[in-house]
Amino acid sequence: MTAHRPRDGRLPAEDRRLRDLHDSTRSNIMASTPSEYVTLVSCDGFEFILPRSAACVSGTIRRMLDPSSKFSEALTGRCVLETLTGIVLEKVCEYLLYNEKHKDQANVPDMDIPPELCLELLMAADYLDT
Amino acid sequence: MAAMRARNKIRAPRRGFASAKTDDFDSSWKVLSASLTEINTKNASALSFEEIYRSAYRIVLMMRGDDLYEKVKALEEDWLRNNVQKQVTESISASLTRSQGMVEMQDQSNERRAAGERFLGALKARWEDHQLCMGMITDVLMYMDRIISADRTKPSIYVVAMALFRDNVLRAAARPEADPTVYDVLESTILFMIQLERNGHIIERPLVRHCIQMLEGLYENMTEEESSKLYLSVFEPSFLRTSTEFYQGEGRRLIEIGDATTFCRVTSQRISEEQERCRYTLSSMTEPKILHILDEELIRKNIEEVVQLEGTGVRHMLDHGQLDGLRSVYQLNARVDPKKEALIKVVNKRIIEHGKEINASALTSAQGQALSGKSAEDGKKGEKGEKGEKGEKPKEKPVNQQTVSAIQWVDDILALKRQFDTVWETSFLSDQGLQSSIMASFADFININPRSSEYLSLFFDENLKKGIKGKTENEIDALLDNGITLLRYIKDKDLFETYYKKHLSRRLLMKRASSMDAERQMISKMKLEVGNQFTQRIENMFKDMTISEDLSAGYKAHATQTADPDQKRIDLDINVLTSTMWPVEMMTNTKDGQVQLPCNFPKEIESLKQSFEKFYMSKHSGRKLSWQAGMGTADIRATFRRANGKTQRYELNVSTYALIILLLFNDLPDGESYTFEEIQARTRIPNNDLIRNLQSLAVAPKTRVLKKEPMSKDVKPTDQFSFNSDFQSQFVKVRIGVVSGGSNKAENQDQRKDTEKKINEERGSTIEAAIVRIMKQRKKLIHSQLMTEVLAQLSARFVPDVNMVKRRIESLIDREYLERVGEEPPTYGYVA
Repeated sequence: MTAHRPRDGRLPAEDRRLRDLHDSTRSNIMASTPSEYVTLVSCDGFEFILPRSAACVSGTIRRMLDPSSKFSEALTGRCVLETLTGIVLEKVCEYLLYNEKHKDQANVPDMDIPPELCLELLMAADYLDT
Repeated sequence: MAAMRARNKIRAPRRGFASAKTDDFDSSWKVLSASLTEINTKNASALSFEEIYRSAYRIVLMMRGDDLYEKVKALEEDWLRNNVQKQVTESISASLTRSQGMVEMQDQSNERRAAGERFLGALKARWEDHQLCMGMITDVLMYMDRIISADRTKPSIYVVAMALFRDNVLRAAARPEADPTVYDVLESTILFMIQLERNGHIIERPLVRHCIQMLEGLYENMTEEESSKLYLSVFEPSFLRTSTEFYQGEGRRLIEIGDATTFCRVTSQRISEEQERCRYTLSSMTEPKILHILDEELIRKNIEEVVQLEGTGVRHMLDHGQLDGLRSVYQLNARVDPKKEALIKVVNKRIIEHGKEINASALTSAQGQALSGKSAEDGKKGEKGEKGEKGEKPKEKPVNQQTVSAIQWVDDILALKRQFDTVWETSFLSDQGLQSSIMASFADFININPRSSEYLSLFFDENLKKGIKGKTENEIDALLDNGITLLRYIKDKDLFETYYKKHLSRRLLMKRASSMDAERQMISKMKLEVGNQFTQRIENMFKDMTISEDLSAGYKAHATQTADPDQKRIDLDINVLTSTMWPVEMMTNTKDGQVQLPCNFPKEIESLKQSFEKFYMSKHSGRKLSWQAGMGTADIRATFRRANGKTQRYELNVSTYALIILLLFNDLPDGESYTFEEIQARTRIPNNDLIRNLQSLAVAPKTRVLKKEPMSKDVKPTDQFSFNSDFQSQFVKVRIGVVSGGSNKAENQDQRKDTEKKINEERGSTIEAAIVRIMKQRKKLIHSQLMTEVLAQLSARFVPDVNMVKRRIESLIDREYLERVGEEPPTYGYVA
């Protein structure tokens, strides 16, 4: 998954497609079974749609989405993370998926962390409890 | 990549990216506290987790985490005290706080119950809300928890909130300025509910269960150890206390009812009830504890009394075959006592009672018979006429009644054994301990009867003689097995062996054994049960029989070759018996001390005897044959000359003694007679055998070959005997049985004394042999050790009398087999 800088407020096609898919299932969320996918939104408006299981690697997000506590995030499946910029959140999402993919495996390839992001990523990790 | 890296420096994180306006603690807290209150009032859906989280996050980043912690705590405490507590106390109605007597009026208890349910419901709802809200608040304050709880020794906010609930809701006074706290009301309400359920009412279990779960979720202190759960620390003890009281009362009540079956039923029911209660209403942690109380209060304290209850207890159950009842008694007893002593005691007592009854009935029937026998004897001395009496009576039941009672005894015991076996299998679940104690009881009462060995042998005799006919192999097998089971109980196996040999020898010599296979089977069974040594001699008896068959055939062939062709030959079937293996003394009926001269055989027989002796000696030199005429039989052809000159021939099957007597009359002119004394002088047949044979020849109505003068039942020395040429019988072949000689019956007093004496002699030598064996091996031994070893060696055969062993040791010392080596402790040495 990649994020793009917003060009004229338009989202890249892929993201939009995914979001449409997400929107179409939103009615289901409201019913009872939580949807497979959740949306993470950065403070500057980027949206990332990823599997719930991947997102819940983060303790904060997991609690945020916990269906038994009826916060608005849990109800909508949409988390607006005011502390994270799109760039950081993109990397975070990459990590979440990376973690999901290599779960229970040994000798996984290292993830590429751009050095200029690492401090912000550290803070994000602290915030998200991952 | 390298170029890329060179260009991109590490960027410092932008601080305060959202806004610096809300930086100060108070405004953040304002947002937070408002949100928390919303959460408490269950309006969370409008809130953004992220927002609250971010506020808390920021406060913690501002290093004000501790302040936040305290503030949240205060907020919650305030909330609980002002809202929740009020709601809960409001739900407590007056009936719940009233003094709690267990005996309450029905309507009052209904009222209380409804109030209780209301209260529990309210409390449960508050608790669940609190749990949920605290869950949410904890989630929101996760960041704070992480930092504060990890760094310092403070409990997490959730734990604190739970403790707050405990202190501010549960431990709050139920009513203002009143003593009982909410918890007290809760406890008494739950106990009341349980009491209701125990009394058969249906209560709302889930409700109670939830409240119990609440108690399980709350702890006495912040560290939340397993053992400090409120449930365990406060509720469970009082639950167990009331249960103990309840079951004490229940036990008393059940005992007063005095019905063992009810007791068992109710108790089992209570057990499963309590199990269920622990599983569905209370906590499974309590299950072993409450079951222990049940075991203790209801079962252990009462089981003995129940087992012994007059009319309904175990004894009654045993007598009436109430297997289910017995099973529940067994199960209850097994719960509290792995040895089940109470039950075993009663079962054993009952077995022994039954056994004594059987012994007594065997004894009385035997004695009754003996008495009648004696009275009929009238004044006749010297002889125990018992056997003669019975056989002589032309009754339908010729078998000695004592024998019947002996067999009855065995049958009764077997029936009893079967009865208890079924009980043991179905009710006592084949419990090992019970089995051995049942066996011990059987052995006890069987050995109380001094004649058990004899009776058992008679039982075998009876069944091997005729009982087997018409039965399948399996039935025979089962029958013999039954007998063998009893043999296992008998302690004096040597006594049994003696009797068995005696009875067996009769069966073999008189050809009464109906199936050799069964006999062999019997032996192999005994061998399995008692051991090789035991059956050795019995097996030798069989060997003698086979050898004798060959010998008879050999002699027949020899005789045809050598015999005088014109002389009428007499066929001889002979059994040569090894005297040590066979109970010879028992067959000859000699009185001790009296030297019995061999009887005079008529010349025909005498020549036959000599001829066989010659034949036998040619085969086995150096052996001595002694003739036991008492056990033999003969087929003779007798010619009766009628007064009208006609002759009538009969074939008579008689005993050897009768043959000798009858042959006497061959030389006697018609019409003349011998007195008893004359016959005795000529034949030298032992006195009592002669009497018995004369009785069967002259007194028994169907076989009166001789006439007796005067005609009476008894034979007196002066009686005259003459040949009865008018003898009539509807058969050509007539069997003249010797009175009592043929069948095996129970012994009378004198015979028994004889047997006992012989047994004692035999035991004496067995003991000596054992002592010498042991001493030879050990050379030197302390008295007590020697005793134990001797007893151990002999216990398989009989239970030796300690005094007898001592006497034998003395006697061995006198005869210089042993010597005294030391006095302290007494020690013996073996003299080689």
